[in-house]
Amino acid sequence: MKALFNRLGPAGSLSLAIILLFVFVAMFAPLVSPYPGQGAGSPNIAAKFRAPSADFWLGADHLGRDMLSRVIFGARVSLTTGFLIVALSLLIGLPVGLAAGYFGGWVGEILMRVTDIFLAFPALLLAVLLAAALGAGMLNCIIAVAVTWWPWYARMARAEVLVLRGQPYVEAARLMGVSHARIIVRHILPGAVRPLGVQAALDVGPALLTASALSFLGLGILPPTADWGQMVNAGRGFFPDRWWYSTAPGLAIFIVALAFSVLGDALRDKSEGRSHADA
Amino acid sequence: MDLIRYFLRRLVLSALVVLGVTAMVFVVAQVVPSDPAALYAGPRPNAEQIAKAREALNLDAPLPERFAHFAHAMATGDFGVSYKSRRLISEDLGVYLPATLELAVFSTGLALLLGIPSGVVAAARRGSFLDRFGGLGSIAAVAMPTFFLAMLLQVVFAQWLDILPLSGRMSREFSVIDPLRPVTGFNLIDAVLAGRPAAFWDAFLHLILPALTLASYPAGVAMRLTRSAMIEILQRRHIVAARALGLSEPRILFGHALPNAVGPALTVIGLSFAYALTGAVLVEIIFAWPGLGRYVSEAILSKDFPVIAAATLVVTLCYVVMNLIIDLAQAMVDPRVALS
Amino acid sequence: MNRRDLLKTAAVTALATAAYATSARWSLALAQEGGKIITLAHPAGFPDLDPATSFSNDGAVLANVYETLTRYIPARDGQEARVEPVLAESWDVSEDGLTWTFHLRSGVKFHDGAELTSEAVKGSIERTVRIGGGAAFIWSSVASMETPDPLTIVMKLSAPQPMDMTTAAGFAAWILSPGALDKDNAWFNAGNGAGTGPYMVERFEPGQRAILTRNPNYWGTFADGSFDKAVFEIVEDAVLAQSMIESGEADWTYSLPYENLDALNANPDLTVVSNPSFETLVGLYNTRKAPLDRPKVRQALSMAFPYDDVISAGTAGLGSRAMGVIPAGIWGHDDAAPVPQTDLEGARALLTEEGVADTGLELVMTYATGDALESVAAELWKANLETLGITLTLQPMNWEAQWQLAKADPAAAQDIFVMYWWPTYVTPYDYLFNLFHSEPSPNYNLGYYANADFDRMIDEANGLSGTDRVKAEQMFKDAQRKIIEEAAAVFILDRPNIHVIRSDIKGYVDNPAYGHVTFVNELSR
Repeated sequence: MKALFNRLGPAGSLSLAIILLFVFVAMFAPLVSPYPGQGAGSPNIAAKFRAPSADFWLGADHLGRDMLSRVIFGARVSLTTGFLIVALSLLIGLPVGLAAGYFGGWVGEILMRVTDIFLAFPALLLAVLLAAALGAGMLNCIIAVAVTWWPWYARMARAEVLVLRGQPYVEAARLMGVSHARIIVRHILPGAVRPLGVQAALDVGPALLTASALSFLGLGILPPTADWGQMVNAGRGFFPDRWWYSTAPGLAIFIVALAFSVLGDALRDKSEGRSHADA
Repeated sequence: MDLIRYFLRRLVLSALVVLGVTAMVFVVAQVVPSDPAALYAGPRPNAEQIAKAREALNLDAPLPERFAHFAHAMATGDFGVSYKSRRLISEDLGVYLPATLELAVFSTGLALLLGIPSGVVAAARRGSFLDRFGGLGSIAAVAMPTFFLAMLLQVVFAQWLDILPLSGRMSREFSVIDPLRPVTGFNLIDAVLAGRPAAFWDAFLHLILPALTLASYPAGVAMRLTRSAMIEILQRRHIVAARALGLSEPRILFGHALPNAVGPALTVIGLSFAYALTGAVLVEIIFAWPGLGRYVSEAILSKDFPVIAAATLVVTLCYVVMNLIIDLAQAMVDPRVALS
Repeated sequence: MNRRDLLKTAAVTALATAAYATSARWSLALAQEGGKIITLAHPAGFPDLDPATSFSNDGAVLANVYETLTRYIPARDGQEARVEPVLAESWDVSEDGLTWTFHLRSGVKFHDGAELTSEAVKGSIERTVRIGGGAAFIWSSVASMETPDPLTIVMKLSAPQPMDMTTAAGFAAWILSPGALDKDNAWFNAGNGAGTGPYMVERFEPGQRAILTRNPNYWGTFADGSFDKAVFEIVEDAVLAQSMIESGEADWTYSLPYENLDALNANPDLTVVSNPSFETLVGLYNTRKAPLDRPKVRQALSMAFPYDDVISAGTAGLGSRAMGVIPAGIWGHDDAAPVPQTDLEGARALLTEEGVADTGLELVMTYATGDALESVAAELWKANLETLGITLTLQPMNWEAQWQLAKADPAAAQDIFVMYWWPTYVTPYDYLFNLFHSEPSPNYNLGYYANADFDRMIDEANGLSGTDRVKAEQMFKDAQRKIIEEAAAVFILDRPNIHVIRSDIKGYVDNPAYGHVTFVNELSR
């Protein structure tokens, strides 16, 4: 515990705490939200547009639902979306990068050129195009963003493999006639997974940002499921008179993204590495 | 020699990207469940009108024939007409592209203007309050959802302080009563050409909020890149020597250290430009900016395929050309890039 | 104050002054023009300014440039609905309802100087029919047209149809100059036109605005102090439209969030005008898919619909309960129609009786993405159905996709299709035919309702509506009761027409027969 705090510093530790808090709240949303039914989408017309008060800490939306409960339930969707985007991207990017790095040659060349093409495509535009093509919905939104996201992991994985491939123990395994698949899984993957894993965990923030942009455009998660981006959009027509409607989910996105960002800095300390041109 | 080889390699890659994009758009168009004929037949069409549109659009032709037709259209820039508005796409692009480019260029400038000096200051006063504050600001800028930032800026500057216009490209005084003659399509330039300072100022004011929204993210990145580049440079021998010789601090910073920060600046230009082009989808909607982002997002929503294809191609071209220029410039500044 | 603060203050001051100067100049420019510009902020664009094919919001512009032979004036202020002469001064119909003779107004000139003649009328209709786009189908029963003299046009019909209503249609009924008859779509959309209306097209910037200028040779009247120019500004964003109407940059707009109307009404500079519209919101049940193929199940679902809550939450109480599909203000409206009331217990009993209560029934409902009212209706209904053990899956889609899905294969399509319907010309037949008349392949009858009796009744009523409107009206009502009894659809609400105008605009009257059309010559400041 203490070691972790020392490593992350105060800001990083605080960020980690915030992220964990959001994860906790998301996992136990029905238990921690004041009005779980409303969080899940049941309307409560009587409280339409109630301003923040003791009953509704963050006010109520156009159907009278408690904003705090909506934001808490939104955390579920938004965080899950963020995690799944990264996971799916890893699932595509990691094998591509491993293969490209391990085999090199024309296989690697082709794989990396395909990766480059995806990287050179204006990311948000591609995501919007795909989301519109696939139709709205959480899964489609995840796929749409992941398609623009995986090339980063392919590149990183390849870079890691290029280093690992030259390691004596890998050479030795190859000389002993161990199969390619086994070498990759046994010797290369473990070495590549850790740096990629850290990066991927930190990317949940930016991934969530991009997904929220799609939801804001009406291409992501659909009502009555609570989603932060979609809620900001829904409240826009009433902004700033009923400021709480857009502000609560907007700030939630900001805080989570910020926490991931700060945590990332704390972990990498001095890295100005990659950055996504999205959202 | 290396530089030329590098450039050629990048050129080929760029061509591949454009080709890939074109193919991807065509594939997407094929898998999307939509009926272009129903779109082309106009609002609330009956079955007969749809059948007529099907014929007019040659939709029953075999796939390869349609792809050939499509590829030809993309290659020649004769994008045809929009299914929805039936207007010439090239004409629409002529209006919307400059609007988006103007915003992209302006926001890139703004990002550099905000990011680089603050990065220099942060590096010079490392660990100071300013440095920490700037550091937090730069992270916050990156974590802020674009659309929410846009809403906040509108409320603060247009509605509360009432010092900047809420949205649009020009005030109605200019857009309705006495419009600028579009020469370049860039309002700022057109206003200068027409010798109308009031129109220039008006266009400038309208640019600020959307450009600021788009600049926030790249400015944050710019500040961090500049700061770390400067810190590294300030520790180098010739700077230490300059300091020992008693040169003034600003002179060291801006005269000797800053030129070495050209690399990060180039990166930021590329990043910012790309960000502005894609972020346009969100920002142009919120600021009612009549540009490519709004045009293409509308087309995407109504599955207006020729418009999607044309606009995507144009955006990608801008994107790729900009990247090419940046890469080349970077290779010229730092020849090691070309070798790697 | 140090130097930096000073700079900052100076910058803010400069910006503020500039902004102030800008808005001040705008008012100044207005004053110089004598306050004779009206700005109408429209939330949707004007995609097609060709009077033959225009079939959407563009009608708002065209209705000021072109005129029709007649115009429909809905029932209001205790007066009966009537058809008013415009370019036709009078008309008569033969006893069998198959020959209609229109007598044209004399001395009317088109914008290009040409005279209004029966040949021009014939040519305009022929051009519309030849191109066959938009609402050209309204002329489908016209077998031939004759022009016995320059001011008389005779239409011979193949089947009886109320032609005085047809000529009053909001689309495809405009008369244009002979000089424009051979022009193509692009010519009109480049900002050209030649009608007889009070305003002429000055400039058209697609996606941004259309500017009309006063027709000095207009045959009709302008209100005292009416406008020299009308600017139809396209403002898609409601937030911006609201800010424009509040600041006076716009004089008229609509489609602002219902929730904000109270605040707008409290503003002395603004007036909120609320009228019934001819737009009804309806959810068509897929009558070809089990268990919705059983009328009782459909009735139960309709009983579970929260009608009042949707009106209060979705339209801030301004909408009205739909009595079938024919809204108030249109002949054929049935204010005693036996529409179901919200009754969850009754719904449960009915579902139990049908054996579908708590069987985990799942229904898919499609509606328009981004339509706030439809989404409120969807969410509230979903909540009610949940208490009955029915899962309603909401699927907002953009119109093209929603329609495509519905037309493809009824068996695989949605269970409930939600959409607005408004009539192309004012007849109950338009609603009943399009939404419920059986079709060889689905077009707008997207609940796939098929009932030969019903078809026969409305076809017959339509035949009579030119000659015996009283009898026709009763037949339409009877037919509509049939679809209400069978619960072919859930009749959600009749949408209110809400327009927000600046208080200093005089003479504004909304005519729901022409959705969101403003006849600018009637207005003044």
